[in-house]
Amino acid sequence: MDSLYLLIPIALLFCGIAIKLLLWAIDSGQYDDLDKEAWRILADDEPPAPGPGPAAAGKSPGPEQPE
Amino acid sequence: MTSTMSPSTKLATLPEETSCYHCGEPVPAGVELGVLIGGELRPMCCPGCRAVAELISSTGLDSFYRQRTAYSQRPPEPESATPAQYLVYDDPALAASFTDTGPDGQVTARLLLGGISCAACTWLIEQTMARLPGVSLALVNLNQSRLDIRFDPAQLSLSRIFSRLDALGYQVRPFQASAQRRQVGEESRQELRRLAVSALGMMQVGMFAIALHAGDIQGIESQYQGLLRWVSLLVASFVVLFSSRVFFTTAWRHLRQGALVMDLPVALAIGLAWLASVWATITGSGQVYFDSVVMFTFFLLLGRFFERRMRIRYNLAWFDAEGALPDAVTARRGGEWVTVPRVQLLAGDTVLVKAGDTVPVDAEVTSGKSAVREDSFNGEPLPRDVAVGDTIYASTVNIEAALEGRVLGSYRDSRLAALQRSVEQGEVEKPRLARVADRIASWFVGAILLVTTATALVWSQIAPEQAFWISLAVLVISCPCALALATPAALTSAASALRGSGVIVRGENALEALSRATHLLFDKTGTLTDGSLAIARVQLLADLPRERVLALAAAMQQYSSHPVARAFRDIDPGSGLTQVQYQVGAGLEARDGEHTLRMGSEQFCRRHAPSLRPPPGEPFYWIALCKDELPLAWIGLDDRARPEAAAVIAAATAAGLKVELLTGDSSAQGEVLARGLGISQVMTGLTPEQKMARVRELQATGAVVAMVGDGLNDAPVLSLADASFAVTGATDLARAQADFVLAEGDLHNVTSTLRKARQCRRVIKQNLAWALGYNACGIPLAALGFIPPWAAAIGMSLSSLLVVANSLRLNRGKRSR
Repeated sequence: MDSLYLLIPIALLFCGIAIKLLLWAIDSGQYDDLDKEAWRILADDEPPAPGPGPAAAGKSPGPEQPE
Repeated sequence: MTSTMSPSTKLATLPEETSCYHCGEPVPAGVELGVLIGGELRPMCCPGCRAVAELISSTGLDSFYRQRTAYSQRPPEPESATPAQYLVYDDPALAASFTDTGPDGQVTARLLLGGISCAACTWLIEQTMARLPGVSLALVNLNQSRLDIRFDPAQLSLSRIFSRLDALGYQVRPFQASAQRRQVGEESRQELRRLAVSALGMMQVGMFAIALHAGDIQGIESQYQGLLRWVSLLVASFVVLFSSRVFFTTAWRHLRQGALVMDLPVALAIGLAWLASVWATITGSGQVYFDSVVMFTFFLLLGRFFERRMRIRYNLAWFDAEGALPDAVTARRGGEWVTVPRVQLLAGDTVLVKAGDTVPVDAEVTSGKSAVREDSFNGEPLPRDVAVGDTIYASTVNIEAALEGRVLGSYRDSRLAALQRSVEQGEVEKPRLARVADRIASWFVGAILLVTTATALVWSQIAPEQAFWISLAVLVISCPCALALATPAALTSAASALRGSGVIVRGENALEALSRATHLLFDKTGTLTDGSLAIARVQLLADLPRERVLALAAAMQQYSSHPVARAFRDIDPGSGLTQVQYQVGAGLEARDGEHTLRMGSEQFCRRHAPSLRPPPGEPFYWIALCKDELPLAWIGLDDRARPEAAAVIAAATAAGLKVELLTGDSSAQGEVLARGLGISQVMTGLTPEQKMARVRELQATGAVVAMVGDGLNDAPVLSLADASFAVTGATDLARAQADFVLAEGDLHNVTSTLRKARQCRRVIKQNLAWALGYNACGIPLAALGFIPPWAAAIGMSLSSLLVVANSLRLNRGKRSR
């Protein structure tokens, strides 16, 4: 059980790092808009390719459309 | 189509064939526009929509149409949006107010976008902007309708960005950061920081607490118990210092002003439990409650976070009258017309307002003759004729012909600014109804403190070693958590249910006022009526059938932008007319073969057809149609009542409300309309001041007044009423300054909101009864020493959960509908 003296401080260290990261993310504005992010994952990420035009347009109405 | 995140079901309910694929409005008869999207030809209602849809589809972004959850806004006619108007933003002095230049020469601009209807819009905007050469970052903030764009000024100009966004169908203007906005943003971040720390802290302390509790049951070596207690102390102290501090500062701030608030017992419970646990840790005796302290903090912060998020969500679509004015104006400088920023205009300058433009400042007409649409001020669908010497007001729209005007003053002196100030004034004057919970709370808090002190005193006589823990149990069990949640939980739940049915709730507190409302006041134009003209009567003067007359009229009107033309939008115009000309201030003229058709005012038509009789007596807006010298018909237009108005008024009367009609219109139409709808009390010809006086008069007699109005002209009286509704199209939410905004313009929502408000009041009463009843039972038991602090903490949490669950019932009924 003596390992507790090592493991608990390590756990606390990780927790401290997690808090630090989270606070950094909040301060850098990553949580400012909670409405958009929930939706963003569903959007097709069409690459801003140099010549998209008809190629991308022809591809997109494909398998994702269930109706 | 994706069915995720769809608060608006509008998309699915409209029939596909007849509505515009882009904006969802019905396609008018005779319009055959279409764009090939996703392999199919989609109908479009107007050239504006077609232009936007073509742009979206040609850039390969047409999956926008599959992702969106609400229709896009109908863009303005393409010819009215000239890219030239944006050139003014290339002026460095004007651009400086909303751009920053980074050290690498890149410029970041903050732009406010109008017309973002759902999250897919943000994707469309970001994708489109990212494809412009020179753009390194484009980020849309959906909460604030704001676009941050970073670009290289050598490759791209601001005016180009503006006109590109315009071409996508969004209204764009500079985002002016205000101190208030910054503060709201900063507070949200602070709250999130506190919440995050308390959540992580709760998990840590919770783990240690499980070990400690297990140790209590199975036995634990005192060195390990000491270790676990000390690390709990460490983490909990950090959480208390970082996250719970807000309770202490709020409680202290109010205490200094002599007010007892909910935060006081919260702060006391947290502070005492923490102190006692620290003491137990140091002396190695008694019990530690670090887990309760941290969990309590977390749940309180979580509740507040959600409540706040709901609250600011729709507040950010703030009312900014000045923002609706054009930034670029045409003014005469040294004998030439130049485009200058509006803010640089001085009194005495001469400005040019083209047909279709919004008047940028209050001005006196010096040249030209036209008509201005003032519905943003008075809701009237008919424009006012103006000529030399008349005054035109900022934010009205010039619809007929170009006008020159002498600027009367800056924005601050304008009638628009005065109106905005009176809105703010009304907001201040509004009688503040103390919330039930707040009234109870301050008594309750005082009582808790007395009972706790008494318990401590009595037990210190009987059993001094138990006195502290028993007093703490009293404090925890009576913690007004449930009481604090009772009202906001119900209000928030009711508000979110209402949003689901098309009512945007701006002031949740107004729900309480609405549930007690005794009077329901309606405005007429734009509220009981739908604010657009419709054909009410056709009096035929020649032996031409009615259909033929209306088709001729529609054929002429399709070339006009006058509000009258909307009445003919649904009639198939046929074809064959040529040379349709607009006679300013008079009417339309067109060639039909060798005949000349004229349509317009009595004077205009009589000049060419002297045999025209005066119009019939009914109070309609009459226009004449003549063919050469032969009068064909009188067409009477009317601003008709909304179809659901009568049913809504009957329902309101049945619910025990006194319904009144207050209208600025002095004609007999108000009386006629009121009689038709079953309203007995009518006041006509009222100025906004008289309407406000009427509301004050009712309030002075103890009445609780709910008012239904539309838009800007009613804003002052709406802000004075105890509860207010604004009826509006989804497009100008920012204008509607009321507690409840009926976004889909359906009056039925007035009565459904009323029902919801009453239901909400019942739930609040149940919640309060439960919270008080629970305390009435729990406190004596705790004071007698039957409840240990840990059981008190569980009881407290359970009673709060019950209150929340009861409040959620408000939301459930609506959803299953």
